Amino acid sequence: MTGINNIMNLEDSAESKGVVFFAHNTVDVDYVRIADLSARLVEQHLNLPITLVTDTESQPEHDYDHVVRVEYKGNNFRNDHISKEVKQWKNHGRYTAYEHSPYDNTLLIDTDYLVLDDGLLKLMELDYDYRVMENSNSSAETMPARMGQVSLPYLWATVVMFRKCPRSKMFFDLVGRIQRNWAYYRNLFMVDGTSYRNDYSFAMANIILNGYCSTSKNIIPWKMFTVVQEVVRMDTNLKDKIIVRLSDLAITIPKHNVHIMDKNFLTSEAFEEFVEEILDV
Amino acid sequence: MTEIDNIVAEIKQATDYQANRRILREHIQTELHMTYGNGLFKITPELIAFVATWNCDEMYIEDTYENPIKVDRTEFLELAQQRYQAVMNDWHQQYNELRRLRRV
Repeated sequence: MTGINNIMNLEDSAESKGVVFFAHNTVDVDYVRIADLSARLVEQHLNLPITLVTDTESQPEHDYDHVVRVEYKGNNFRNDHISKEVKQWKNHGRYTAYEHSPYDNTLLIDTDYLVLDDGLLKLMELDYDYRVMENSNSSAETMPARMGQVSLPYLWATVVMFRKCPRSKMFFDLVGRIQRNWAYYRNLFMVDGTSYRNDYSFAMANIILNGYCSTSKNIIPWKMFTVVQEVVRMDTNLKDKIIVRLSDLAITIPKHNVHIMDKNFLTSEAFEEFVEEILDV
Repeated sequence: MTEIDNIVAEIKQATDYQANRRILREHIQTELHMTYGNGLFKITPELIAFVATWNCDEMYIEDTYENPIKVDRTEFLELAQQRYQAVMNDWHQQYNELRRLRRV
């Protein structure tokens, strides 16, 4: 594969396709439980096999295509914007998705991204090396779009798709290098804050790989919808619509993929009930 | 509370009409994308008009990823029109439902 927009070599009919999840439980959040529930949505809407990358102690309940056990290495924290507390964050090692994925075409999805439609399959039909979600449409009025006040725009590592090819490997190797040398790259790109964030390292790798240019064609050309607030409940009691009930208001959205940032909701019984409702529809 | 009361109470809560409207429009923008000949196209009135008025049956069109895609004009036009109409119909229907929710 050469060039960023190559469109040749269409021998992809025999290529395998699948989804990769990463889930490492922290002291606060049972990410494996979230993965188990999200996996059911992926199966329902994409009908693709799923590989889970997790630690040696976790006990996933979903019947995954593969479970890859790794020893988690890393020490990171995040400011939870809902509880306003500092929480443990096991987000290192995402760059290993390339080596851990058993598929030719991989959708690397965060477990808090709920797959409720088959739109991403459309992109997998095309020829590509890797693609990353660029924009997010938020339930709140505005979201920061740059890595720092005087930095460049970041990407959303929440949804990444890649095909096994030299350029994708180079991309993920670069993300790994950025993670290992985070202090250097954080300063180079004038990132606000010190916590390692995959959204930033994927954006940096993409900028570097595109000749230090922030405009790229390695993007998913539509916006991801993100709910940033605390979620009380999600309902499916309207045809083709979902009601997301927040603490002080509710929003009615079409039945499409949605990124939920409230981890407490995703580990609650209410989320499990929502998944059951969706699967029953 | 009866079931009807519950439903009315829930729908009354769902009144952030401007947010709902904005989110629905973004969804529609996503749905307007169509794959053809290993290319990805966002179907717009301009694209439909351009293809409809072209005077040759075989043509090349630039897709979303800035690749030139070989297109059978008649076939592409039919698919693009179908996609555009289906998505616009869906938008109109969902938009009216949102307006109806607002009035409850």
